[in-house]
Amino acid sequence: MKPHLLVLTLALLTGTSLAATTPESCRDLRRHGHRNEATSCFTTLSQSNDAYLRAEGLWGLKQYDAANEAFRQAATHDAKPIVRVRWGLLLHDRFNNKEAVDLFNEALQQDPNNAQAYLGLATVSADGFDSHAEEYAHKAAELDPKSPEPHELLANIALANAKNDDALAEADKALALSSDALDAMAIHAAVDTLNDRTAAADIWFAKIRAINPNYGEGYALVAYHMVLNRRYPDGVAFYRKAIAADPELWPAHSQLGINLMRLGEEEEPMRELELAYNNGQRDAATVNSLRLLDSYKNFITIRDDVSILRLRKNEADLLRPYFQPELHKILTTYTAKYGLSLMQPVQVEVYPDHEDFAVRTLGMPGLGALGVTFGQVLAMDSPSGRKPGEFNWGSTLWHEMDHVYVLTITQYRVPRWFAEGIAVHEEGQASPEWSNRATPEILLAYRAKKLLPVADMDQGFIYPKYSDQVLVSYFEAGQMCDYIQERWGAPKLVSMVHSFAARKTTPEVIRTDLGIEPAVFDKDFMAWLDKRIGAQSKNFDTWRTQLKALDEAAKNKQNDVVLKAGPEVIHLYPEYIGDASAYELLAAAQVATNDKPGAMATLTAYEKIGGQDPNTLNKLASLEEELNHPTEAAATLDRINYIYPELDGLHAHLGHLWLAQGNATGAIREFTAVLAMNPLDKATAQYDLAQAYMAAGQRDKAEESVLAALEAAPTFRPAQKLLVQLKAADTTPK
Amino acid sequence: MKALLLLLLMAIPAHAATFYITVAGLGGEPDYEQRFTATARDLDKLYKATPGAQVITLTGKDSTRAKLTDALASVARDAKPEDDLVLTLIGHGSFDNIEYKFNLVGPDISAAELAQLLDRIPARRQLVVNTTSCSGGSIAALERPGRAVITATKTGTEKNATVFARYWTEGLQDPTTDLDKSEAISAMEALRYADQKTAAFYTEQKRLATEHPVFEDTGHGEAIKVADAKGKEGELLNTFTVLRIGEAQAAMNDPAKRDLLTKKEELEQKIDALKYQKAAMDAADYKKQLTDALLELAKVQEALEQ
Repeated sequence: MKPHLLVLTLALLTGTSLAATTPESCRDLRRHGHRNEATSCFTTLSQSNDAYLRAEGLWGLKQYDAANEAFRQAATHDAKPIVRVRWGLLLHDRFNNKEAVDLFNEALQQDPNNAQAYLGLATVSADGFDSHAEEYAHKAAELDPKSPEPHELLANIALANAKNDDALAEADKALALSSDALDAMAIHAAVDTLNDRTAAADIWFAKIRAINPNYGEGYALVAYHMVLNRRYPDGVAFYRKAIAADPELWPAHSQLGINLMRLGEEEEPMRELELAYNNGQRDAATVNSLRLLDSYKNFITIRDDVSILRLRKNEADLLRPYFQPELHKILTTYTAKYGLSLMQPVQVEVYPDHEDFAVRTLGMPGLGALGVTFGQVLAMDSPSGRKPGEFNWGSTLWHEMDHVYVLTITQYRVPRWFAEGIAVHEEGQASPEWSNRATPEILLAYRAKKLLPVADMDQGFIYPKYSDQVLVSYFEAGQMCDYIQERWGAPKLVSMVHSFAARKTTPEVIRTDLGIEPAVFDKDFMAWLDKRIGAQSKNFDTWRTQLKALDEAAKNKQNDVVLKAGPEVIHLYPEYIGDASAYELLAAAQVATNDKPGAMATLTAYEKIGGQDPNTLNKLASLEEELNHPTEAAATLDRINYIYPELDGLHAHLGHLWLAQGNATGAIREFTAVLAMNPLDKATAQYDLAQAYMAAGQRDKAEESVLAALEAAPTFRPAQKLLVQLKAADTTPK
Repeated sequence: MKALLLLLLMAIPAHAATFYITVAGLGGEPDYEQRFTATARDLDKLYKATPGAQVITLTGKDSTRAKLTDALASVARDAKPEDDLVLTLIGHGSFDNIEYKFNLVGPDISAAELAQLLDRIPARRQLVVNTTSCSGGSIAALERPGRAVITATKTGTEKNATVFARYWTEGLQDPTTDLDKSEAISAMEALRYADQKTAAFYTEQKRLATEHPVFEDTGHGEAIKVADAKGKEGELLNTFTVLRIGEAQAAMNDPAKRDLLTKKEELEQKIDALKYQKAAMDAADYKKQLTDALLELAKVQEALEQ
């Protein structure tokens, strides 16, 4: 213990009120585990006539509203910058980052070299995985070279970015400045834990406990990095340790609840989250997670031996016949591919409200846009939660399920780039139309040479350096896996999974599994990728100009212009299937000029390259049907089932096509889907289903359905005729 | 619904007619002008294909207050109490918290003025389908016993342009709107279709719904959503045939088939009664009785088709 602390402690123990009591000394007491003394210290401050000191005292006593008010009083025009910085940190502590940033910026206006204001900005930025965090923290370190805190934050950011060596270097800088830099010690413990060096980590934990046995924040920091590395069970274990050290560490209670939810638990998360909430932890993650738990009453759970499917009640009847068989197909495929049978059923949660899904990814880096996997639990958007065409639940399910296998095999010890890359790769393996495409953002990043070498790929996911870097990194990682399969064969990807499971680093895996140096891999991969997207990248500006002109011509109904220029625009950038794609414009002109076979060919190309606007695909199906390609029409409509199964008329149309083609089982599924959508015309839907059952030889079910049709519409002649037919057969002597 | 419809058909002499007045109001912009006119023309085509229909459709420069007044006055002269009237307003409306106005070329017309003109028409059963923005603001002035009012918006304060008219028309074009397969589309069936499609439009577009269709058909009280109908609410809409789509009319006019129609009606009533008792019946017994009645009904309908 430092001498000044000892003096202060003794003074407080003897009840002496010191005029020299400062916020720093009170916080030091707390930091060193002297809770009662810290409380007395803060109480003294809270009784000060100085509004700033009073604010610090009240904050220390967790009287947040009163502290906020005192800061407001203290923040007069001529107040020192520290008042605004500390006020900002209080607001950050109370989940109001926006106003916190405003206060830090105000402090910087008062004093452009205020290190603590920069540290405040760095702290808030790091919360949101903003790449500016690092820049602000460096600035703070530069302006206040004696402060360990910027280095602790830089260590934390580096570790989140998988730069372990940098993290340790920064932690050591903090420890050199202050031998009791607890978070720096926790960073060491986190690095050791991530590398499965338990004994080494325990030494660091012992050092922390020696300074402050109640420093739960140290365990919580390790837990945070476990979660960032998808090691959710380990994260939960460390949050438990954090709470054991400090039972009043409410953020840890909240995080324990959230991560238990990620492992499929409900009761304990509810208890932990309510406890945190009732003790003032009312951040978005806590509040929204509680809301989500409450909303589970609106879901139903469908279990079988291998899967647990959680669907919202009002769409469960529609989605179940699609999701469950797809899930079983995926399980069979991946079990064979990875040689692994999952020990427990995989749980899939499907959220029609994107906000409910978003709760599951709060506080996590990356896109988190479509699906997320937590070990053997995965959550994803429902197709109804997105604008039609934005989302393919089939490819998302294959992607996320790949994570389940890879995370299980590697015991969560797999670099993010490889986990995402192989999952993206598997989407394309499941269906070529689901392969990752080079979007304009990717082409521009490629052209600007922003792609990362394989050894640094993980850095493209957590703290993106440019706005689309995460998207680009997903693409690049997926392409790397495509390339590996093409050059070394599919089994090599599986062997890489096992190498990562054996705790090899990316460079080691590239060397041992692929037999080349990472630098050589990068060179060869970039040459391969250039063949794949280089031309499109070079054509990009020309394509953009020509697409604009094509769109104008289409708007002006200049079909001759569109027919002439359309193929060239497609040729310049065939992978573009976004809004106003040349495929759609050309097909519309072809239809308008009665070239339906041409339109069908154009839209088929759109479909094959991955186009998934449901209305455009529906048009293709109509053309295919009209031009006597009913099998292709049915296949096209079935693709829409993976994109937007709510599309009006889809299921009835497909059901009739399949019924005509003799696919009674498919027709039953589709007409059942019509009924699941609660149509107004239930009579027709039941009659169609009855016909499908008849075709499948299921006469009992056919009778049930036809009676349901006639119950809704007793004078429905086709249904009457079917009932008469069924009953006549019943009475015909066999 | 079916039994009620049939009772009504039996009660109405065969020569009862339906008068249709459709107005596409002032568009203000070419897109709206085109859309309103196209919808009105689609309805015009549908109505003119209906036997016994008297159709007046006003679009473009003809959509004036004077021409609408003339149209309503001509129906007031020609219609008899047993006839039906369907007035459909398509376009923009306005509401100043007191008065609803339908936007026309030249002076607009208020809901109160429309109500006065409608009151002069002897047809006892009238249907007003007001598909405009703010149309909810017209209900209080238009409601009257024997007159059903359907509006695209629940209040006069829903001011955005509506899509309801599109789906109302689409419903009348789509045979599946005839939910009970009676070969006639009732106002309630058409409303259900348009209501569901309108809601789906906003859901699919991920847009906040700015129109919520409602109806009032008891002549007094608040308008309600389709899903909230109870008691007498919805009775008039259920029995009000907007469009005939099959041969029911022909059969009804054939005296030789009156006995079969009576038998058909009895069987339908029997089936309705069975359905009403379903919850209290043994499932197997219900199924047997229902099947028997349905098979008998099938025979009667087959005979009617001969």
